[in-house]
Amino acid sequence: MSEEILAPMAGKIVNIHIEAGQSVEEDEEIFTIEAMKMETPVFAPCDGKIRAIKVKVGDSVEEDALLAVID
Amino acid sequence: MIFTITLDRIKLIMVQNKQIPESIMRPYFEKMNTFGTEIKKGAIKRTEENVQAFIEAESQIDAAVDQVKNAGFSTEKINARGEMTVWQRLEYLVDEGTWTPLHTLYNPANNEEGTTNVIDGLGKISGKWAVIIGFDNKVMAGAWLAGQSDNILRVTDMAKRLNIPLVWLVNCSGAKLPEQEKFYANRRGAGAPFFRHAELEQMGIPVLAGIYGTNPAGGGYQSISPTILFAHKNCNIAVGGAGIVSGMAPQGGFTTEMADLLVEKAKENRAKPPGSVRTHYDGTGFFRYVFEEEQGVLDGLKDYMKDMPAYNPKFFRVAEPKAPAFPQEDLMRLLPMEQKKVYDFDEILARLVDGGEHSEFRPGYGPEIYTGLCKVDGFLVACIGNRQGYLGKDYPEYADYPGIGGKLYRQGLIKMNEFVTLCGRDRIPVIWFQDTSGIDVGDIAENAELLGLGQSLIYSIQQTELPMMLAVLRKGSAAAHYVLGGPQANRHNSFTIGTAATEIYVMHGETAAVATYARRLVKEKEAGKDLQPLVDKMNELAQKYYDTSRPLFCAKNGLVDEIVKLTDLRKYMQAFAGSVYQNPRSICPQHQMILPRIIKG
Repeated sequence: MSEEILAPMAGKIVNIHIEAGQSVEEDEEIFTIEAMKMETPVFAPCDGKIRAIKVKVGDSVEEDALLAVID
Repeated sequence: MIFTITLDRIKLIMVQNKQIPESIMRPYFEKMNTFGTEIKKGAIKRTEENVQAFIEAESQIDAAVDQVKNAGFSTEKINARGEMTVWQRLEYLVDEGTWTPLHTLYNPANNEEGTTNVIDGLGKISGKWAVIIGFDNKVMAGAWLAGQSDNILRVTDMAKRLNIPLVWLVNCSGAKLPEQEKFYANRRGAGAPFFRHAELEQMGIPVLAGIYGTNPAGGGYQSISPTILFAHKNCNIAVGGAGIVSGMAPQGGFTTEMADLLVEKAKENRAKPPGSVRTHYDGTGFFRYVFEEEQGVLDGLKDYMKDMPAYNPKFFRVAEPKAPAFPQEDLMRLLPMEQKKVYDFDEILARLVDGGEHSEFRPGYGPEIYTGLCKVDGFLVACIGNRQGYLGKDYPEYADYPGIGGKLYRQGLIKMNEFVTLCGRDRIPVIWFQDTSGIDVGDIAENAELLGLGQSLIYSIQQTELPMMLAVLRKGSAAAHYVLGGPQANRHNSFTIGTAATEIYVMHGETAAVATYARRLVKEKEAGKDLQPLVDKMNELAQKYYDTSRPLFCAKNGLVDEIVKLTDLRKYMQAFAGSVYQNPRSICPQHQMILPRIIKG
């Protein structure tokens, strides 16, 4: 079963801590979004494998934008 | 048949008929809502670096503290004279595990000795909380140094605000004469502690003094101004010391002939400093007790502290004390050292309070601020803190821009005003937690009345007459640092602590650099000049802001009263709660508190 990882807020992707195909643990930081001078981490919602990363560093995203898919 | 109606039987009937709830106030306090969650594996993995960063930063603070502890003569040298050092006296005097140091690194005048020469903190003596302070007899025999009277002001203020005894370990050789201009006179100068003792006494707060060594002049008044004097047999206290006694009237200068005369007089007076036990126990009776041994003095203090007025904790506890639900070490994972990183404040608070339990006031309103009732050692405290991170769609409601935690907006300010006012009514002491970048700014924010709401909060806090403490977890900046229980903005802040991640400044250095140099940049650019010199100045200013906002700077200059380890945050909250409830000036019966009922609805 796959899960979509969405942007919790609008901002700029300043860090991607994962690669496609990588296994992650629940609560591991996978993205960092910068907005309003603060960096908000996006955590893996569950243990799994990153199937696809939909953004790159420097991209501006809206709230609820799709960032990655985890299996 | 005789049927006896008892009160218990009546209650049972009424409970069964649902005319009264099964218990009256216990449901509000005994088991509150739990909050906080266990840290997951992934979070543990990603926060290892943060833990190491805190360990490293805290060890730098420890190193600075060690320097203060080792200032002056060695312990061995003092012991060889048959004397204990102030640190040894404190260790003997204070109940084990309760010493809560404050102002250890405070040295605002940058004394070469590295200290203001008083060591102070909160601690229990014979089971009762006291504010405790002693002169460091390793450093110039406990002389007055610059910054000391400001240090003592913080200490006497603490006793006043917490309404607990002040215990002194006096060992004061008087003024460091070559630097008297730095501290002797002036409105808050070295004479001020004497009237502050009088002030405490007028408020019914006793000042106990254990007296050691030679205490002339300033030392004399340090000794005489407390309430009860416990003297060591070798001590003396006097208006003037041997050095002054042997001095002559000013002659317009010195010659070697005069020096020879002074040598003779000094030898004569060295043997007999004035104001010994013979004078002040046998004669004047200023000393209530005299002790053969140094420890005897401390035993005397302990004995008196046993009989100090203090409520049994059961009088005010709302529940049995409970350890936090999660380990204190988690805090090093939860609070990012990196200032730009957001975190969950509720998770931090859950580790600091009893049982990970709370009763939140107005959740969902003013989301940038946490307000709630918690327990520390079974005592009810009100907690207020900045939440971090994105605050959700359509917030703040008055603006078209998003809201971020750390900033204050209209709802959060209103909520704090309400909460603080109700805490005042219910007599619930307040613990503030700051990590703030300021109040929202701009015309939209002005129209939302934020300037007035910020000052309203200062007014609300001031009119509560409640004891408070503040922990600056990370940032304290702008007016938000003031309005969120800041030490300068009310009469109730008893002490302020910081962490190894604390930084306090009016604004971020880069913001300040832009504010200072933006116009000149425009002018220089339009004039076709090289911008590099201005850029260099901007970098210098930003660096200066950085250097003068570090935790060590904050502690040294009194922006906080102590930088504490994250794992000690709860200890300071326990000292605060224990002290506040030892002898409070006013009481609200638990069953007459309105906040718990407002929260429940």
